[in-house]
Amino acid sequence: MTDTAIIDCNANLGNWPFRRTGYNTPDALLERLARVDIDRAWVTLLDAVMLKNVGAANPWLAEMVAGYEQLMPVGSVNPTWPAWERDLAECVDLGFRGVRVNPNYHGWTLADPIFGELLAAAGEAGMFVEVALHMTDERHHHPLVMVPPVAVDGLLDACAAHPNVAIVLANVKNAPASQLARDADGELPGNLYFELSHFESVGGVQALAGELGVERILFGTHAPYYYPESSVLKVFEECDFSEPELAAITHQNAERLLASLQAGGSQP
Amino acid sequence: MIEPGAIDCHIHPTAAQGGPPAACADELLPFADRMGIALMGTSLGPTFWRRPTREQITADNDFNAELIARHPDRFFGYANLNPNDLRFSLDEIERRVADGPFVGLKLWVAMCCDHPNVDAICERAAELGAPILQHTFFRAGGNLPGESSPDDLAALAARQREVTFIAAHAGLNWERGIRAVLGQPNILVDTCGFDPELGYTEMAVAWLGAERVVYGSDATGRSFASQLAKVYGADIDDDAKALILHGNMRRVLDL
Ligand SMILES: [Zn+2]
Repeated sequence: MTDTAIIDCNANLGNWPFRRTGYNTPDALLERLARVDIDRAWVTLLDAVMLKNVGAANPWLAEMVAGYEQLMPVGSVNPTWPAWERDLAECVDLGFRGVRVNPNYHGWTLADPIFGELLAAAGEAGMFVEVALHMTDERHHHPLVMVPPVAVDGLLDACAAHPNVAIVLANVKNAPASQLARDADGELPGNLYFELSHFESVGGVQALAGELGVERILFGTHAPYYYPESSVLKVFEECDFSEPELAAITHQNAERLLASLQAGGSQP
Repeated sequence: MIEPGAIDCHIHPTAAQGGPPAACADELLPFADRMGIALMGTSLGPTFWRRPTREQITADNDFNAELIARHPDRFFGYANLNPNDLRFSLDEIERRVADGPFVGLKLWVAMCCDHPNVDAICERAAELGAPILQHTFFRAGGNLPGESSPDDLAALAARQREVTFIAAHAGLNWERGIRAVLGQPNILVDTCGFDPELGYTEMAVAWLGAERVVYGSDATGRSFASQLAKVYGADIDDDAKALILHGNMRRVLDL
């Protein structure tokens, strides 16, 4: 389909409690992504979201991806639990480059002081922080587990207060992305990135890249919960990006983000 | 990866907001071309009205009629109706479908479809051979007032066996929606308007047969691409994909 190397910044291993997805082991995921010419992925462990002891997911994920150079594990932290700093430190020890948070599943918001504390600690550790705004369509959630999406209120202040910490919004839809661009008045912070698996509407990825800045867009699929063909078709077929734009979206932005990470605070 | 000739059974004329039908088509068609979409079924209008008035129905159907008149090779239409206003709905069927150019009917959330008014609409649709595109949700927390579920559509379809129904969104909560319409062979499910969740098309084909699944996007709110991924990415054979992408709609529309 393309000569452009693609890094999938939003793939998943393990199990989601409400659906059996398949393609959720390292071999199966890599084989499934290879069908659409993706050979590298950042992966979280889906089980982490609904574990009570979220930190237990991290050694589990490390063990799962051991020996798979193509898969870069992203840890999980619930900063409302005591000693979450220990989980973050364990992620560093395990060689992880970033951690994901699911504030809506864990009962906190981006306007809470705990988010700033997490960003400060992640910056010290040289880690990026990824916020998953939601995991699945709220309109068909399990009736006993209906979880509203994460509100982005407070996010721009947090970005400004921690300019040396790279922050990734994963599973972000058009509306909050556009809202942030409007709130920032054309000056979105340089440390904020948007992962595109949930961008919708005809030509939507290109329109949002215009609003947000191509340099902030990360290619992601949300596979295997989503068909990875979705992001590939959106970016390569439906939109009309130039080769340099495609290179930025599909791998250069992700590589720049990782290169910026250094203990004591990254330099996005 | 893209194959030409797809029929998108479910779009809305929401491109070029505020502009006339010509602008809507000019904005939409280049994307459709890139995605191999040959023909699109349009309904509702630039704005979605939950309980449309006669004036809003007329404006929506006029808008789509002009779209079809400008590009008869690219668009076909489902006339928008509000079944609460049965007299006007039946008149609109005569004006739009019997007299053309619309070929089907669209029922959104103005009235639950398991209602005698909708039976009256179906009886005329059966005579005209007009398929009905019916919005269906199993919405977490409960449906909106007037919103139909796949259960409601299954009840209607059991009474109206001469009508072909397309259960839009397969109920959204598709693992339940597919089950709900299983016993009614005159119900097809489309692929549109929900996230590109892996496994949807495989389950729909396994339970209903590929003959009962049709590609739709819900453009322009959804992208053609994210919804085509449900077909191109599905673990089903190429014959099944061809049925979903165009074969089944050719049968439904008698093309
Ligand atoms: Zn629709």
